[in-house]
Amino acid sequence: MKIAPTIEGGLRIDPETNEDWHILRAIALDANGCETDLADRLGGLVTDGKISEDWQDIVVPDLRESFADDLHYIYAAIEAAAAFQDAGESPIWITREDAFTWYSGLNQARLALEDKYTFGSDPEANPANLIPIRHEALLRNHFYCALQSFILTHAL
Amino acid sequence: MAETTTLTNTETDVFTAPPWNVIVHDDPVNLMAYVTFVLMKIFGYNEKFATTLMLQVHQQGRSVVWTGELEKAEFYTQQLQFHQLKTSLEQSE
Repeated sequence: MKIAPTIEGGLRIDPETNEDWHILRAIALDANGCETDLADRLGGLVTDGKISEDWQDIVVPDLRESFADDLHYIYAAIEAAAAFQDAGESPIWITREDAFTWYSGLNQARLALEDKYTFGSDPEANPANLIPIRHEALLRNHFYCALQSFILTHAL
Repeated sequence: MAETTTLTNTETDVFTAPPWNVIVHDDPVNLMAYVTFVLMKIFGYNEKFATTLMLQVHQQGRSVVWTGELEKAEFYTQQLQFHQLKTSLEQSE
């Protein structure tokens, strides 16, 4: 996979192998792979009596919808590009306008992976000791993090 | 006719409710540059101050990033949660 900045201030992603497409499609799967969704996890931090009730009724549903919209957008962008996969070049474009949506989706995936696997603040620690499924998750986490850094530097 | 004088004595007591703190908590996922970016975007803080708050989150586990009236505190907490930062609000002592 190649990732490069564009002169318009965005990014261009060129998946080159089936594995590249697989890891891109895994963003939404990973983001939805946590038992408790992100909106509930964040909403649960507001614990003050009456405010907490309002938060659960009003804010959490909005958060849930916003996060889901971001993942749908990313899924659609990936599948739209994948439709031209057999025709040769099928780049995915991240523009300044949708950079935050991409960042959000990647962040959702990383937050869910962290919640599920608890890599901690030092995910480099002993990767060789990890069981395969956890090792794969760690590699995806690294990829998502690298892409987020590109977005932060070049598009946000 | 005798003159009458009315004296009016008005006393006003202002009860000020304790302000609310918006608190960002540390997590191992959100990138430090992103936390700084979000604090600048939402509160309009300059980069130096936003970085100071971000480092406080990173090193001390939490930071009070804003203090004031409840309605605004709720708004800022909601905005920070939309940006996926672990955020809570609590009333000052």
